[in-house]
Amino acid sequence: MMGKYAKKRLAVSTAVAAVGIVIALIVGLIGGYFAGSMAAAPATATVTVTETVGAKTVTSTVEKTITSTVEKTVTSVKTVPAGPAVSRIVIGVTDKVTDIDPSNAYDFYTWEVLSNIMGGLMRYAPGTTELEPGLATGYTVSPDGKEYTFRLRPNLYFADGTPMTAEDVVRSVKRVMEINGDPAWLVTDFVKDVVAVDDHTVKFILKKPVAFFPALVATPPYFPVHPAYKPKEIDSDQTAGGVGPYRIVKWVRDVELVLEANPYWWQGAPKTKQIVIKFFKDATALRMALEAGEIDIAWRTLRPTDIQDLKGKKGIKVIEVPGAYIRYIIFNTKIPPFDNPLVRKALAAAVNRKAICERVFLGTTTPLYSMIPIGMWSHKDSFLEKYGEHNLELAKKLLKEAGYSETNKLKVELWYTPTHYGDTEVDVATLIKEAWEETGMVEVTLKSAEWTTYLEYTRKGMLGATLYGWYPDYIDPDDYTSPWVNASWTGYAYSNPELIKILEEASVKPTLAERAKLYEKAQDIWAEDAAIVPIFQGKLAVAVREGVEGVILDPTMLFRYWLIYKAS
Amino acid sequence: MASLKAFIIARVLALIPTVLILITLVFFVMRVLPGDPVIAIVGMKAPPERVIELKKELGLMDEAGNPIPLPIQYLNYLSKLARGDFGRSLIWGKRPVLVEIMEHFPATVELAIAGFIVSIILGLLLGSLGGWMGGKTSSAVKTYGAITYALFIPWIGMLLQLFFAVWLGILPVAGRIDTGLEPPTITGLYLIDSVITGRWDSFISALRHITLPALTLGLVISGVFTRVTRTSVEEVMRQDFVVAARARGIPEHKILLHVLKNSFVPILTMMGLQLALLMTGAVLTETTFSWPGMGTFLLERIQYRDYTTVQGTVVFFAIIVSLVNLIVDICYAYIDPRIRY
Repeated sequence: MMGKYAKKRLAVSTAVAAVGIVIALIVGLIGGYFAGSMAAAPATATVTVTETVGAKTVTSTVEKTITSTVEKTVTSVKTVPAGPAVSRIVIGVTDKVTDIDPSNAYDFYTWEVLSNIMGGLMRYAPGTTELEPGLATGYTVSPDGKEYTFRLRPNLYFADGTPMTAEDVVRSVKRVMEINGDPAWLVTDFVKDVVAVDDHTVKFILKKPVAFFPALVATPPYFPVHPAYKPKEIDSDQTAGGVGPYRIVKWVRDVELVLEANPYWWQGAPKTKQIVIKFFKDATALRMALEAGEIDIAWRTLRPTDIQDLKGKKGIKVIEVPGAYIRYIIFNTKIPPFDNPLVRKALAAAVNRKAICERVFLGTTTPLYSMIPIGMWSHKDSFLEKYGEHNLELAKKLLKEAGYSETNKLKVELWYTPTHYGDTEVDVATLIKEAWEETGMVEVTLKSAEWTTYLEYTRKGMLGATLYGWYPDYIDPDDYTSPWVNASWTGYAYSNPELIKILEEASVKPTLAERAKLYEKAQDIWAEDAAIVPIFQGKLAVAVREGVEGVILDPTMLFRYWLIYKAS
Repeated sequence: MASLKAFIIARVLALIPTVLILITLVFFVMRVLPGDPVIAIVGMKAPPERVIELKKELGLMDEAGNPIPLPIQYLNYLSKLARGDFGRSLIWGKRPVLVEIMEHFPATVELAIAGFIVSIILGLLLGSLGGWMGGKTSSAVKTYGAITYALFIPWIGMLLQLFFAVWLGILPVAGRIDTGLEPPTITGLYLIDSVITGRWDSFISALRHITLPALTLGLVISGVFTRVTRTSVEEVMRQDFVVAARARGIPEHKILLHVLKNSFVPILTMMGLQLALLMTGAVLTETTFSWPGMGTFLLERIQYRDYTTVQGTVVFFAIIVSLVNLIVDICYAYIDPRIRY
């Protein structure tokens, strides 16, 4: 029974609750609603760069002299697509920028940012893995292959209008050598000295002939930096940049990076005046921000499920290309049973790559049968040719030869880390375990360790079978082969004298054809030894809102902001 | 007042061993964990010489390449801390830890205050409603408290993002303010700074951005306040003065005010205690909404095994929470005259 007091209490309570809800919820929402229309106004479009946007044609020439008597000239003509300019494009990422300093930055996303605010003497032609001239017009190589001389473009300027000369290249490269940061080995392992011959000519004197040196020159440690960079120490938050299409106008770590078109860029200021990079902590928020229209492009890294979902969304376009990121299994050839080549071969034959790509990554990765990724010259499906795909019969045969059977099972531990390669890692390990156990002759125990522990144990050579991944330093087959041969970081020092000889030879041969032949041979030996077994290659996926054009991705995995624009 | 002064001095002195114990724990726990933090920093491709070089640089190894014993490292750290030196970060420019903390702290304070306000409003309203009405309403409120307390922040945050940002499109998914609208820094709290400087576009943008994170955090924490308020109000309702007041025919809303006033001490206690929970909740809320505060900062630095920054941040948190608890304790004396020292 509801008495008099109870009725009054109910009335008062209801009124108080209503007021409370209004305070707690509605005020903010109504404020937000009204603000929505205000915020839609271009309150922040304050770029003052003036440039006529339209079809632009850039012609560049490469001169490459192999010997004193042979000269090769390549001419590439690149047309930047025309389209009306819109002042700003917002890109969302879950990655982070580490050091905006090429002397210490050693991660893909920071390299991408550096590639947009700086430039190298050489660069990759968008959409390909082919090198083309960057700040240099071309280069010549001495007959012994130990001296590379680059001729700079005339009238190069830093983003503040300061002229850039060969001395700046020398200063920047020597700075990297002096600081000796994480990526410094890309210079110090190869370069003995660098000198400015004159204002527009720079000469690199190498320790030994390096056929892929032009690819090294395209990496950030070789980028000339503005004189504002501290000469002898890492300048992590320096925003002066180099000679690139954009310059940094605002940098709030982990929040946003605002880039403005560089009017002094040698190719002319890019058509999109302002690029805003928003840093997200969570892939779900990144996806929702794209759907809500807060960002124009959702870049690294969307989850496979989100990529699948977004493919069907109206007004959103998903672009996928093969990436140069690869995953593989390392067998420690010093630890039993992996010291037995038959065991390694059997396990390599049993792996079910297609299942991993389809079930774990929903088709956002591609099965890989060589350490050299698909799309790169000299790639050969050596593992597929030798072992086939998920070849249980061959695996059983090899295991029998090694002395194992259904009653005397091979017992192995497979290690993975749940803290470095994403949430899907446990699923990858589980599917490998399933495939190996399908032979009926293998018993697998899955073991995991946090990333730092995992690395430490690997370095000490304590783990038998481990899952790892590789992002390239430079786009060349050498970077997908040499780092594992006689390498201490893997703790197992995989060594095959014949392979070492071939790789050394391949790294100095001057022509692509000669090198390709050697790398093909190396891949066959790799498959024969089965010490490192490739599993899959990542795809790059970017989701863009309708109207965003000029998105060109390639295995270099670097997004060129200067090519993107909004069609109105 | 003399007794109050003594109490404050005693509490301040008690902070020292508390913080010291915490520093010691964090220092040793970070170091006994398996996995080499230097390798975590330099990456797997780094040559061993680089690893040794960095260890020397960080004071983990002497010039001869021998490891420095942990107790010596600990004493070195304490000695620096005593001089107000929180050390330098091990990564990304190796900036002073205190500078890094001060860059992120205002964002967390702003979110914590907003979340706290939402939780207090919801907690007080629903708690008093349940306590006052009793019966089924009380049970419903009790259930609300249990459910909200058990809510997983990223889940509820995601639902709110989906509804208000993606479907209705009236609030932003993530971030703290729109690009280019940051007000000049005075307190570091965007809402306050924009009011002080009269930047109303900034204020509205900041308000839009803080609404969803504050609602998420507030909703989850409101469960505790609801329970405490309900219980406290129910207890006070049973006291003689309420019966007497009703017998005199005093209007119900006036009685409610008296009841609330008398129920406030346990609620205030809970407010002090909730600060720690606010900080914990802030980590998840900040991650969900990409809020650039201490939570995401600490989480990220733990992942990178940035010793000095994690230590510095935990010590900083410990001091802040202890100070706030001290202030709450002092407030009791003014609210409840029965409390003596």
